[in-house]
Amino acid sequence: MPEIRVTPLGAGQDVGRSCILVSIGGKNVMLDCGMHMGFSDDRRFPDFSYITRNGRLTDFLDCVIISHFHLDHCGALPYFSEMVGYDGPIYMTQPTQAICPILLEDYRKIAVDKKGEANFFTSQMIKDCMKKVVAVHLHQTVQVDDELEIKAYYAGHVLGAAMFQIKVGSESVVYTGDYNMTPDRHLGAAWIDKCRPNLLITESTYATTIRDSKRCRERDFLKKVHETVERGGKVLIPVFALGRAQELCILLETFWERMDLKAPIYFSTGLTEKANHYYKLFIPWTNQKIRKTFVQRNMFEFKHIKAFDRAFADSPGPMVVFATPGMLHAGQSLQIFRKWAGSERNMVIMPGYCVQGTVGHKILSGQRKLEMEGRQVLEVKMQVEYMSFSAHADAKGIMQLVGQAEPENVLLVHGEAKKMEFLKQKIEQEFRVSCYMPANGETVTLSTSPSIPVGISLGLLKREMAQGLLPDAKKPRLLHGTLIMKDSNFRLVSSEQALKELGLSEHQLRFTCRVHLHDTRKEQETALRVYSHLKSVLKDHCVQHLPDGSVTVESILIQAAAHSEDPSTKVLLVSWTYQDEELGSYLTSLLKKGLPQAS
Amino acid sequence: MDPECSRLLPALCAVLVDPRQPVADDTCLEKLLDWFKTVTEAGPSLLLLQENPCLVELLFRVLKAHDPHPRVLSFSLRLAGLFAAQEDCFQYLQQGELLPMLFGEAGPLGGAAWTAPTVRSGWLQGLRSLAQHPSALLFLADCGAVDTIFSLQGDSSLFVASAAGQLLVHILALAMQSPAEGHPSPQGCDWPACAQKIVCHVEDSLHSTATPQVTQALNVLTTTFGHCHGPWTQGLWVRLSPLVACLLEKDPIPASHSLMDLLLSVARSPVGSSDCGLWETLAQTLSHLSPIQAGPLALGILKLQDCPQALKTQAFGVLLQPLACVLKAAAQSPGPPGFPEGATGDSMTVDTFLSSKSACVGLLCQALAHLELLQLLPQRPSPWPQAPLLRAAVAILRFCNGSAAPTSDVGGHLCAVLAGCVRVQRAALDFLGTLSQGTGPQELVTQVFAVLLEYLTSPDSSPTVLKKAFQATLRWLLGSPKAPSCCDLDPHTQLFLRELLPVLRKRLCSPCWEARDSGLEFLTQVTRHWGGQAAFRHALLASEVPELTRQLLRDPESYVRASAVTATGQLSSWGLYTTPTSPEHPEVQQESLFTELLHILSTDSEGFPRRAVMQVFTQWLKDGHADVAEDLEQFVARVLQVASRDLDWEVRAQGLELALVFLEQLLGHPGSRCPYAVALPEAAAPATLAQVLQALCRVQLFEFALRALFDCDRPVAQKSCDLLLFLRAKATPCGGPQEAGASPDVVSVEAALQRWQAGEQGQPLGELEPEAVMAVLRSMDLEGLRGTLAKSSDHIEKSPQSLLQDLLASVGVLGENEADCY
Repeated sequence: MPEIRVTPLGAGQDVGRSCILVSIGGKNVMLDCGMHMGFSDDRRFPDFSYITRNGRLTDFLDCVIISHFHLDHCGALPYFSEMVGYDGPIYMTQPTQAICPILLEDYRKIAVDKKGEANFFTSQMIKDCMKKVVAVHLHQTVQVDDELEIKAYYAGHVLGAAMFQIKVGSESVVYTGDYNMTPDRHLGAAWIDKCRPNLLITESTYATTIRDSKRCRERDFLKKVHETVERGGKVLIPVFALGRAQELCILLETFWERMDLKAPIYFSTGLTEKANHYYKLFIPWTNQKIRKTFVQRNMFEFKHIKAFDRAFADSPGPMVVFATPGMLHAGQSLQIFRKWAGSERNMVIMPGYCVQGTVGHKILSGQRKLEMEGRQVLEVKMQVEYMSFSAHADAKGIMQLVGQAEPENVLLVHGEAKKMEFLKQKIEQEFRVSCYMPANGETVTLSTSPSIPVGISLGLLKREMAQGLLPDAKKPRLLHGTLIMKDSNFRLVSSEQALKELGLSEHQLRFTCRVHLHDTRKEQETALRVYSHLKSVLKDHCVQHLPDGSVTVESILIQAAAHSEDPSTKVLLVSWTYQDEELGSYLTSLLKKGLPQAS
Repeated sequence: MDPECSRLLPALCAVLVDPRQPVADDTCLEKLLDWFKTVTEAGPSLLLLQENPCLVELLFRVLKAHDPHPRVLSFSLRLAGLFAAQEDCFQYLQQGELLPMLFGEAGPLGGAAWTAPTVRSGWLQGLRSLAQHPSALLFLADCGAVDTIFSLQGDSSLFVASAAGQLLVHILALAMQSPAEGHPSPQGCDWPACAQKIVCHVEDSLHSTATPQVTQALNVLTTTFGHCHGPWTQGLWVRLSPLVACLLEKDPIPASHSLMDLLLSVARSPVGSSDCGLWETLAQTLSHLSPIQAGPLALGILKLQDCPQALKTQAFGVLLQPLACVLKAAAQSPGPPGFPEGATGDSMTVDTFLSSKSACVGLLCQALAHLELLQLLPQRPSPWPQAPLLRAAVAILRFCNGSAAPTSDVGGHLCAVLAGCVRVQRAALDFLGTLSQGTGPQELVTQVFAVLLEYLTSPDSSPTVLKKAFQATLRWLLGSPKAPSCCDLDPHTQLFLRELLPVLRKRLCSPCWEARDSGLEFLTQVTRHWGGQAAFRHALLASEVPELTRQLLRDPESYVRASAVTATGQLSSWGLYTTPTSPEHPEVQQESLFTELLHILSTDSEGFPRRAVMQVFTQWLKDGHADVAEDLEQFVARVLQVASRDLDWEVRAQGLELALVFLEQLLGHPGSRCPYAVALPEAAAPATLAQVLQALCRVQLFEFALRALFDCDRPVAQKSCDLLLFLRAKATPCGGPQEAGASPDVVSVEAALQRWQAGEQGQPLGELEPEAVMAVLRSMDLEGLRGTLAKSSDHIEKSPQSLLQDLLASVGVLGENEADCY
């Protein structure tokens, strides 16, 4: 039996670094190649040594697919392709291809900056890796090779995020990556057609959560920023260059415009300007509202948001600054934080989770006295706020997607085990499909029914049509014919045509059966009784009594003979052709019950 | 252990076992274990446990907990293993019966938590740490752990299964080394019970009809022979080799990949050299396996140091088969392909080629990759069939691009299957590139260049194929022989260059950025090597390539701009970059390359081009480029001014690199004590120190360096510190300028330094007096600063105290936020 095998190397019952191996129809595909920001040694990358023990990676893997540009989905890519040695194709959408190297470069710089890490990928490696990328358009079927094809669907979540359908023959798997089923300020909602895959691999970050309205969170955010600025304080928003930063910029820009606020808003880095450039470039990937209004007003051209100069941090008066990196672990955001931390009037808003070991993590967990270099202690008096703007589908959204795609099986990744367990039950109950949640390193194997395309000869089809009833997808009909396997092709033709094509002569196969009847009369009389009985029972069939004494019903032949040892018993010899198998069996069972007594 | 950590531990242990508190994420527990590992390795664990009773209590409480979190349970198992690695600590834990409770039947092994792979993994890792001494061996035997490990070899988790296999090998090795057992005989009759048990299990598995079990046994043996080299391994092989040989007689051979790994592992170990039967087994295996299976084994054999020549020949034959087949299929007229005997394109290989497209592609790619690897090895077969290999590579590339005209059936099939196959094209181009290390008859080399040119020209070449074609071309060009006069390129190369440059020109105009970039990278490399060759210079200048390269400085793609910067820099170094004149006003010279690059440095929105500019400038300064030499100070001053303001720390760091080169040129090389240092050309008499310092003040190097000392990005500060230390060392022994005391200048510099240290930007320093700067430098603790900077900038956050504080502080706070990671 053909099978589909799935092994997560990352994202199996965790929200770490996504990397899922799928074997389908003899092809091997890696879905995402992410990195864990919480580690600073080799543990940040998936353990690629498990992909294959035998032979080269490039020979084993047919392709790598990257769902979106977040580092937990693409951060290990240059390491995998330039240091581990994968030399095959990498597929991603165009915006992902454009933005991915920026984030990788950004991360590389922080890694090298902080630790002077030598064993890390270089700029050149990022470039060489990006040269191996093949960009895919939405809904475009891309042939990886003769048998393997992939197709991207819109996933929301971040610019360029896509779900991928992977198909080999009639078997298919859909991998969602991260997705969002509700449109947000700059992106649309995820969508997939009813592609009925054998398996849907879906993220389950918010497996048990029904998210409150994002509007509430946005109002809360604006209120906090506004209050701080009003009382003359400064607001620091540490961000990663892409994704949330753009959403928050649009939010603040509109608010500033509406409220006619004067306090300056700055970006501390050239990175985000570049990111905005990409949002402009890939406007078709944003939501309908942005696309519609784009001609009149480009949402990504900000009037109130200006480039930041390091000297501005010392300027008096209120201001809002977006600075990278997002976890306050190095560089500009940390430098500004140190300057502003001492004043109660100021505020830092963390719009995303921070890994342990970063200043962001410390202040979010409530630590207010931070030890700095040289035994200095930084007292954090500024307000610390956490605001979640992450764009994942919640439990309702996940169920909605499962309903949309109508998969035969579901597999949960990118979530916590306990939450997955809950969602798994819900999916199994509601959709009556099997749901799996393998841990990292565990393999799920699904047997699939082989589906072999068969061509039907026109003659056969016409003959069937002539018998009435047009073909109807909802009412399957039985069709008899001869299956010819030739040159790796399957064709169903009429038996006459098959004989002709194959140059064979017809043989007829008959089934025979003996039925013993207690009857003292002569054979001819017994035959006559059989004839009468059948004639009365089988009104719709042609029952004949032939001159030689035998009885026929369609192709079925019945002859009566004397029993060699017992004169009071007659033997009925029944024989029928394969075509009349059903009638033959019925007749036999009828005769076995005996003949009605002569009146 | 640090007293502060000791103080925090009890609270942390309490939190870890509290079921109401959400457990910190995996990374924190991993880091905690990392720290405990360092602590236990640095000192006695027993003392650690006695001083911190909360640790043992933690283990007990986790065991007693009704439904412990799998992460915490796994953590506890691993932690206990770390402690028990030291024998006295092991005994201590044994007194409390803690270890059987953790690792025995009564422990998690029988509980619901065992279903979590992380717990099973923790159990194995705990045992792996613990199994370090004879007491541990007894314990393992008593608690029945070995049987559990056997069953975990077939675990549903790859990680657990692999760890179980490795643990078995570790236990086997430990048992065999155990001093209590003396020197066990190789025969195995007096082997310790534990080792006997493992070996018997392996034997049983090898007898099994279930392939997974055979695979597990073979993997255990492969690791054993790979890692253990004691005399007992000899006995082990004597005992097990008949069973392994039996596997080879089966059809199909079960677990063939693992079997090959084992045979190679044995062949590489000391056991291999003493077992003549092994070579026979290897030869037999080679002939039994299908071509695609035999490839890795053949390569493995050829990599062996000592191996009979006949076997090597056979193995090489296996690797060459697919290429022999290709040659046969491509041949216009019958003739020997020129490969050694045994590689004639056997029917099995032909069958594989014909069976399916993926089998054909797979076999070819594998063969090409293996031969590429082999070619680079010192022990590659000799004589190396360079010419037929070249012919085969060219033939494959021709099949792929449809330019072959085969006459045979197989040839026709290959043509249909390989047409446009990117995978094979990539592999063949890589292989062809590697073959450039050898030579070949001229007619063949001409064919190589012709096929490369076809690929470079073809619009069908994908970007990755094009890149590889450029790389292969570069390797062949640089490897091509010089003309007899030794001073110029040979006529064939010159001819090729004339054909190549128009193709390069076309590629530089490609709509695909990958193609433009690969073209520029190629140009840079060729120019670096051949910039001085008259024929190359002539051909290049006659083409439009330099002009196009200049235009690519404004490419929309930043990677291309960066490559264009590097290429123009290289061209300019060799005088191949002529400033064009404006077509309308030929008398008006367009801006010089220096101005143009400086403009990129000041305005480009991306870091790559700016960093490339800095590299070019530094190289120019080192080489004494004409544009630089014209007004050295002016050049340095302008570059530093722009670089110091850059947002990208790597550009600022490169600015300091350039400043250091400038300093070296003025003062002499910093590494003059270094035996590898190249002496700088002493064009002019060394300037006096005072003159040098004046010059440094004029180019504002001091202000740049002193500001950089407090840069928020550590590498910049580090570089600046090194630079200033070098300067101070150079200036002081020579009896530098007089102490300036507390002159107004010194005060203002010190004040500025304090402001910068506090993170303020402040006003520029303006004109500085060298004496004041030197006085400030002498008063600074630069060595101390260098020591601080040598640590990672997050060393405090990464410390164990910080980790413990974070774990405690985040209790109940971060749990819900975790999912918002990105």
